[in-house]
Amino acid sequence: MVRNIQEEFTEKLTRALGAEFSLRWERNSKGVVTGWCRLHDHRHITTVALIVASLGGRVITITAYKTKDDQQRDSHEIAYHFDLDGCTCTVTIEVPGDSGKVNSITPILKSADWTERELQELYGIKVVGHPNPKRLFLDDTIDEGIMNDFIPLSIAMQGATSKTLWEKVLAATSQEGEVK
Amino acid sequence: MSTYTIPVGPLHVALEEPMYFRVEVEGETIVGLELTAGHVHRGIEYLAMKRNIYQNLTLLERVCSLCSNNHPFTYCMALEKIAGIQIPERAEYLRVIADEIKRIASHLFNIAMLAHIIGFDSLFMHVMELREIVQDIKETIYGNRMDLAANCIGGVRYDLSEEKIKYLARQLDNLKKPLEEITRIYMNNKFVRARTEGVGILPKDEALRYGVVGPVARGSGINNDVRVKSPYAAYDKLKVNVQVETGCDVKARALVRLREIQEAINIIQHCLKEIPDGPTCIDYLPEIPAGEAVAKSEAPRGELIYYLRTNGSDIPERIKWRVPTYMNWEALKVMMPGNKVADIPLIINSIDPCISCTER
Repeated sequence: MVRNIQEEFTEKLTRALGAEFSLRWERNSKGVVTGWCRLHDHRHITTVALIVASLGGRVITITAYKTKDDQQRDSHEIAYHFDLDGCTCTVTIEVPGDSGKVNSITPILKSADWTERELQELYGIKVVGHPNPKRLFLDDTIDEGIMNDFIPLSIAMQGATSKTLWEKVLAATSQEGEVK
Repeated sequence: MSTYTIPVGPLHVALEEPMYFRVEVEGETIVGLELTAGHVHRGIEYLAMKRNIYQNLTLLERVCSLCSNNHPFTYCMALEKIAGIQIPERAEYLRVIADEIKRIASHLFNIAMLAHIIGFDSLFMHVMELREIVQDIKETIYGNRMDLAANCIGGVRYDLSEEKIKYLARQLDNLKKPLEEITRIYMNNKFVRARTEGVGILPKDEALRYGVVGPVARGSGINNDVRVKSPYAAYDKLKVNVQVETGCDVKARALVRLREIQEAINIIQHCLKEIPDGPTCIDYLPEIPAGEAVAKSEAPRGELIYYLRTNGSDIPERIKWRVPTYMNWEALKVMMPGNKVADIPLIINSIDPCISCTER
């Protein structure tokens, strides 16, 4: 019998968390199954990580993003993308607004290492218990949580399409005009 | 014996891109490794959330040069999932063809670099000459040697005429014999073997623990080819023979790439025979509703994933992608210890690192 990893995952999750989550599976026209799960309590992510590890799964990546909570306040959510034998299951949690801290799953799943470090520095979310929490990409002089800030596009592109560029273009075209 | 620390990089003759390795050695033997990244972090993820979904197609093709086709390809698949777009069948085949051509060129480049690093420069030139055939194919069909601009939302932006199909088939035939010859050298030549066998070992259990992907995983006996595990485009209709080696060393990873080139040629030839007639793209500019999707593809270096959130406007709420090399860096900490200082560039090259891709 072919092992159905989605069923095993659902069963283990139900046993561990009861009704503390929502989960649905989607199947596309090519037969590829994708899972979407939401945990009611962010602390349960370590339980999910243990289940993924027991099924021989891995972390593909983790996405943090800014969103609005029920009261329209700025908040963060984190989507963990797990691989279960080729099937991608995305597990989403809400980061508590008062502490901004979540538990690290790197001690359970090594494949979460870099991506947890990255979301920590880009969004300023504290990942508690990470074995190597130092900066990954950003220099220490850059403030944590840079992805939460608004930076105008022209500055983000380091002036590549700023006024200076257009001045050069206009200067060049006016010179062409003079030659004629 | 006393321990020394050797800095390798961020600028180093054997690395095309900057990465800093702090290597601990005892005599000539490596005992530890620390990595420092971030030298070419360009904030492309941030930029992508400031532009509209159509502009991002162009931006994302520029994340990386060697796997440039996979970025817009996978991004389009994520958008199409959210909008519920079914692309024409001919477009599915054309997407596969573009992707496999890029895979051949990318793998040949890595194979060539291996020869260069071990000082076998005549072999390096030989492989690069072969790669030139693939570069010609790209230039003839797509008008460009690196960024193909083949994908658009709902299909592809190019088509193959009968004449071009004949040309492509002929050029692929020209690749076959020299490729066999090169594969034999990588398998049997005593100098190549002396430098690559038993070097940079990544055992299967460690490969699983670190979650490595692509030829690095397949060189350690893990079959995780996205084309087979979760098929997309026309891969569900094509037979892909996954190339797995169990040597776990630099040589195994090189052989996986060489065999994948052969396999890619077969796949393209099969596509050229089977490709159905019809349109190559949907005939309207789609509106993307609010939603979220993940899309995956097998880039030359392994699994590439895109996660996309939209809110009904044309500016994406969040785009996140994870490139294959991202997962493979930490595994160097397993591959390096026990090897000689002279093997450092060779082992780094064996993961086919793409740094601008990793840091975005």
